[in-house]
Amino acid sequence: MSTVVALFKIVPDDTLIRITPNGIDLNVPLKISTYDKNAIEEAVRIKEKYGFKAIGITAGITDRKSIREALAMGLDEVISLEMKEMDVQSVAENVAEQIKGVNFKLVIGGETTTDSSGGVFIPYLAAVLGYPAITYVRSLTLIENKVRAERNLTSFSQIVESDLPAIISVVGEINTPRIPSVKQILESQKKPIRTVQCNSSSKIKIVSLTPYVIQRKKVIIEGKMEEAVEKLIQYLKEENAL
Amino acid sequence: MTTVVYSEDLNFIKTALSMVGEKVIVVSKSEVKLGEENHVIGQEAKEEKIAEYIVGLRPELTITGSTKRDKTVAGLVAGALRVPIIPEVIELFDNKAKRIVYSGMGIAELEFTLPIVITVIKKNVEVKVNQNCKVFKADLSGTEKVRILEEKRKEGGNVDLSSAQIIVSVGRGIGSKENIKYAEELANALGGTLGGSRPVTAELGWLPEDRQIGLSGQKVKPKLYIALGISGQPQHLAGIKDAKVIVAVNKDKNAPIVNNADYIIVADAVEFCKILTEKVRNK
Repeated sequence: MSTVVALFKIVPDDTLIRITPNGIDLNVPLKISTYDKNAIEEAVRIKEKYGFKAIGITAGITDRKSIREALAMGLDEVISLEMKEMDVQSVAENVAEQIKGVNFKLVIGGETTTDSSGGVFIPYLAAVLGYPAITYVRSLTLIENKVRAERNLTSFSQIVESDLPAIISVVGEINTPRIPSVKQILESQKKPIRTVQCNSSSKIKIVSLTPYVIQRKKVIIEGKMEEAVEKLIQYLKEENAL
Repeated sequence: MTTVVYSEDLNFIKTALSMVGEKVIVVSKSEVKLGEENHVIGQEAKEEKIAEYIVGLRPELTITGSTKRDKTVAGLVAGALRVPIIPEVIELFDNKAKRIVYSGMGIAELEFTLPIVITVIKKNVEVKVNQNCKVFKADLSGTEKVRILEEKRKEGGNVDLSSAQIIVSVGRGIGSKENIKYAEELANALGGTLGGSRPVTAELGWLPEDRQIGLSGQKVKPKLYIALGISGQPQHLAGIKDAKVIVAVNKDKNAPIVNNADYIIVADAVEFCKILTEKVRNK
């Protein structure tokens, strides 16, 4: 059976990260990175449409609840890579190692993640594996042993085709990720999670992580619209913003 | 040591040169006469071929721009060379690089060693043409793994929001595609540029996608940013962090944008547009 692989990263929920006097508070609930959910959804749709097996691979934070969510969305199994140090290179090499072990036709990841938001992982992985990279995909179909995809390149779009296997990154508008039902969540308990310890090191060292804060004034202007707008114009003139 | 600079956008090439000096090979789609050598690869060069070409130059340091296609080239180069990569760098000095992480909440400082691939965020810098630059024409034709069947220009074009001084930006809260004309009128009255959130551009198509501001769109730094009916998801806030003054108009005073704005008017965005437009015009 052919396999589609969804890559996803588990990250601190960026809507909950707060800046505290001690720095950035990353000790917040975790989530599957926003566009990686689109990647999982697309893999599950391919599974449903073409009868593929859908497996997920995640690396780094191996939070069980998030992995269960990915399984509840419809992945058949998840390989969870435990890595202490990680950068694009070390993750790509370890993911490539796992992927080589399955009969895959497609690998799908999100265009970027909400933690480090690079947008370079998918082409990196494709080059390591020696397969075509198709980035920023907003729709895709499989035709025999080929994939046809529409790439969203902001001011224009491209329809491209390549042989399978192919390594693809998807943009947020490709689909709306499903919310699993209670039944699916319960069933996900039975699905396998395979944990792999990776001896990885990163050639890039993090020297510091400092909050990037811009203090905003947060002045709420009340009153009737006419007056509020008049007041706003005053403020903006004082700030030389108008 | 070989340093290669590549981008499909001249401004990124200039940014890179301002960071690493001019003793570099500049790979570009048209002749730019920058760097010691300028390798011209032609407008039709495809990402995988560009990456192959750069890999063939055996660079210790590769710097590309951060457009979607630039980052694809950068990832392919780094993967083929099996070297580390640092995307979207805002500052580069010696063997350290700074970049924005966690949807704009933090700045990470990273230490690296060569060889490496880096992509940089665009800055407005001027670099003089090098009259002694050796120009080479490179032929990047040949069969590709990814074949382009069709290319479609979208409505809109290539609006550069990154240098706009005043931006009027709309979110889903504007209500409808028809209502966007009120924001447009306001932008015109203010001499500003119209932008939008991801839902309004990429998802609903109320505005062309070159107007998208945020994590997966453009990052802006105007002196005035007016957010109309934008709730303020972190992915959007990541793109407006460097705005000097942020005005938010939103019906929901609990929307996250409220905590990330300087001036907030809790009201209907369309009504606000009509009144501010009129007042600005009558000045």
